Amino acid sequence: MDSTSSSLDFAIIGHQDSWQTITSFINTLRKPDLPELSIEQTKKVFPFIPPREIYKIDVTSATGRKVKGAYIETFIEPDKLTAEYARKNVCKVMKAIALATKIGAKIVTLGGFTSIVLEGKVAALNEGRTHFTTGNTLTAAFIVKAVEKAACQKGFQLGKSNVLIIGATGDIGIACMDYFKNKVGQLLLCARNKSRLQQVSNSVMGEQIQYKSSVFLDELIAEADVIIGVASSSNINLAGCKPGVLICDAGYPKNMDAAFENNALNDLFHGGMGQVKGGYSFMPDYSKEVYSFPVPHVAYGCTLEAVVLALESKYEAYSFGKGNITVDNMEKMYSLCQKHGITLSPFYNSSGLCKMKGEEAINF
Amino acid sequence: MEALEPLQLTLEETNVITDIFSQAITGELIGMSNFASLADTIDDPYEKMEAVEHANSERNHAEGFMHYAKKNGLKTNINLNSIYWGNVRKQFLSYAHKKNFIACLIIQEVMLESFAVAMYTDVAHALGGKAGDLFLRIAEEEKEHLEHSSDILRAALERNPEAFVNKFEEIHFNCMTILSEFTATTDLRGHCGVCNGDCMKGSLHHIGLDIETLRGNALALYAQSLDDIGIPGEKSIVWIARLPA
Repeated sequence: MDSTSSSLDFAIIGHQDSWQTITSFINTLRKPDLPELSIEQTKKVFPFIPPREIYKIDVTSATGRKVKGAYIETFIEPDKLTAEYARKNVCKVMKAIALATKIGAKIVTLGGFTSIVLEGKVAALNEGRTHFTTGNTLTAAFIVKAVEKAACQKGFQLGKSNVLIIGATGDIGIACMDYFKNKVGQLLLCARNKSRLQQVSNSVMGEQIQYKSSVFLDELIAEADVIIGVASSSNINLAGCKPGVLICDAGYPKNMDAAFENNALNDLFHGGMGQVKGGYSFMPDYSKEVYSFPVPHVAYGCTLEAVVLALESKYEAYSFGKGNITVDNMEKMYSLCQKHGITLSPFYNSSGLCKMKGEEAINF
Repeated sequence: MEALEPLQLTLEETNVITDIFSQAITGELIGMSNFASLADTIDDPYEKMEAVEHANSERNHAEGFMHYAKKNGLKTNINLNSIYWGNVRKQFLSYAHKKNFIACLIIQEVMLESFAVAMYTDVAHALGGKAGDLFLRIAEEEKEHLEHSSDILRAALERNPEAFVNKFEEIHFNCMTILSEFTATTDLRGHCGVCNGDCMKGSLHHIGLDIETLRGNALALYAQSLDDIGIPGEKSIVWIARLPA
């Protein structure tokens, strides 16, 4: 009964992406006899709660192996992810890390915004029996493989296409750049920080790669055939993009859909996602409240990286720091996913499953 | 106690500080009474003496607050039978009469002390000066009570986890519901019977506080205390979510 007494294969540290989801979850806990709380009421309590384990997770591999994990909620406020709240948020992540260690998780992934701690190269985190990964290698692998698959479905030849990466200086952006640099017609690199963008651009200079870079999206967007969004930004303006451009929205929050009318969403999909064919379950079962995907058993790549490492009994910091993801490691991780029946998620966006232009709904 | 600084406050500030002292003194006297009752539930002579010591410690806290209030002309109101404090006391006594030492410890040293430590700390930082020092010193002493109880309760949980968590859950809803209503943004049960005028919650801004933060920090420390004892997070999140808003 005591949560500290059991040993877990993996843990996921995360946060919610909207107050609606949080309020829905809290109201579920208040059912059936208590009045529902409004979002405003939820905001008065939720941010104060210290990180805690919310539910256990069972995952089944295609090989038949099962692993047990736990989800640890940081209670970071979804509308307070900007730099001015960094200290408070990092403090919550550190508390969640201490909890993951206390409950004996062997491998822990830092989902979404929480990976900022490991990207800061906190080496000391991986000195104990609990190991930590950002999960960024698998997220990046799912992004690039999904872009290749979608491009193929749309009849794009990536070798002749201009691929724009928004958020090119982040850990995942750099990984996508490395993967695509010899596979596409031209790389278009966009990021907000000029000096970091210059550093990243320098790394591809002299490799006989066609590329352009700019801190201004509107200087690049008109040329893009494919857009990969991996930035942490809520105001990406896609005005001026080509009709029929293929868009992989893998940033945080995933809100590039907002730039389009529903009927023009066909070529935008949410990237970095996988699907567990063997299934997974929560205990207690909060899936109705916290599960928001249009098909079953979909999960973020970063969380699935911990699952795959646990299934392989490979308890190590597979992804850490920034700029350390190699194409080789992406391929290895993706290959391990296939072994365990973890595939690319079906293409979907905020309107549901995607239909590429002129095609039936894509469902793998 | 050392000499106190003269207070140079507006009427609004004086009123809200007076109410804070009234609540603190009443709470300490409830704590004193609870520890005195707790002593009666204990067979071990050393633990019994410790409970009496704790009662004396709460008495000293109450006296410290009373002394400060008197020196500074704060007309405090002490009401042990007020709606919230009285109900907390009733809950405590219901377990004390059954000689349920663990339940008494949970109410007094986890629930009430969590709220006391968090709220005294916030008040201390808001008031500053000698009043702030007084609240901070007492918060530190209350924290020791909280830590002392955590060791005992952890051992109790390890002996019989399921029964312990079930009992804790029952006590949580009996007692924390009262404390949550007490600290809700609006008076869910009418006037508390301790504040001199209207509810002080609406006036806390005069000294740079607000009830949402006070309550939030108190719930946070309570949740942390549950974690320290070893209550599973998936249980405590449900308990907290089901409290009155």
